[in-house]
Amino acid sequence: MLFVHETHQVVGAQEDEFESLFRERWMPTLAEGDDARLLWYMHHAHGSGPAYHVVTITGVRDGAAWERLDQRLRTGDLREWVQAVDACRHDVTAKVMLPVHWSPIQEVDFAGVPTDGREHELHLFMEDTGWPTSSLDEYIQAWDDIYRQPLLRYADDMRAIPIDIQACFQNAHGSSVRREAMLWQWIPDPATVTHLIATDLPIERREPGTYMYDALAFRDQWRSRLLRTAAWSPLY
Amino acid sequence: MLFLHETHLVDGYHEDAFEAAFREHWMPTLAEGDDARLLWYCNLAHGSTWSYRVVTVTAVRDGAAYERLARRIQQGDLQDWMRELDTYRHDAHGKVLVPLPWSPLADLELASVPGGGVDRDPVVYMQDTMWPYEGKFLDYIEASGSVYSKSLAHRDTGAPRFLDIEAGFQPAFGSHLRREVVLMQRILDVDRLQHLLMTDIPPEMRAPGTWMHDALSLRDRWESLLLRTARWSPAPLDLGEVA
Repeated sequence: MLFVHETHQVVGAQEDEFESLFRERWMPTLAEGDDARLLWYMHHAHGSGPAYHVVTITGVRDGAAWERLDQRLRTGDLREWVQAVDACRHDVTAKVMLPVHWSPIQEVDFAGVPTDGREHELHLFMEDTGWPTSSLDEYIQAWDDIYRQPLLRYADDMRAIPIDIQACFQNAHGSSVRREAMLWQWIPDPATVTHLIATDLPIERREPGTYMYDALAFRDQWRSRLLRTAAWSPLY
Repeated sequence: MLFLHETHLVDGYHEDAFEAAFREHWMPTLAEGDDARLLWYCNLAHGSTWSYRVVTVTAVRDGAAYERLARRIQQGDLQDWMRELDTYRHDAHGKVLVPLPWSPLADLELASVPGGGVDRDPVVYMQDTMWPYEGKFLDYIEASGSVYSKSLAHRDTGAPRFLDIEAGFQPAFGSHLRREVVLMQRILDVDRLQHLLMTDIPPEMRAPGTWMHDALSLRDRWESLLLRTARWSPAPLDLGEVA
């Protein structure tokens, strides 16, 4: 399965129309076939980054399905739709991603993805994109060894998880930057984030043996984005 | 047909090892199968822009072949090779491109691409990347084929051609930017490049009715990069002897 990740720079005055085009056209149109499904529709939370940015992730069954979708957008039945979308955004940056070997999400069962726009509570995600100085493979492995596994052990002990890593992706070859990987993390309790923002990290959390210290062997450049699901986002 | 366009930020100390990795592994390994072929291996000409940049373009048969190639690199027989390649470069910026409707290069018989490389004098390309205005993307694609590419033929003046557009591309869904056009233009007369560099464009070539003027209604941002093919680069495809 491929995951098409798009960051849309939306025209502020057109944000509702832009969202409608995804909710009322993209999601149901994809649902008519077996090639793809809109999975997440997320607002980059105002006050935490650039304004009027929307992140979407579309799951695509395989490479052949992706090529068919591209052709529909360029010359087929979705050509007018994408022109309407273009009229509501300044531009879009995109990449095709693959789940890394340890990612909890590898495949998504399309039959289980809602396509009717049903609403739910809003969820906050932290999308972390990192650019390693180590090899990409070592970085991806380290994320599992020194970040995810300790988080899971902590969750077992505390009977609650502060950060739920739902997926980890790397870019498919030639689709974007080579040396990059991304964590897709649900934050069950938004207070976790406000605490993180408002509190200095104590020295004992930055010493050898901690994730903050040991991860510096792999990277010191990453970017977090706080994304809030739309009420109708199929996955949340 | 898909085209993987990569700009490699090469570690200067390792430029020869980097090139050898493509020549001795990537190109022949792809040639063992039917999914893909390396087409262009080009150095950005030092003195004209960024240093130690290499542009490669790899043709891939279709979406299914692209996924197979991506998985071979992620966790298959090409994983170790890619990992070694990463030690010769700082990073690589890639995009998956598809041919414009009017592109001379669209479908390609992969078996016709020299999988062992060639040996010939370098060829210089002007790679132009354009970013049309919002709402003008499709208009620009159309005009670049119906107006710009035809203007290069100089049919009205009979003057020798300076550029030959070998391919025009746009990004595929889900890769890079949406609103971008890339032209691979072979420079047929390198001496005229000097003229272009040293001469102001006269007013009559910027007047209404010329491409330079009229295309400003579609875009005013582009970037030209001067690329020089390696002697062994499989593309351009119509020159040189198979090694």
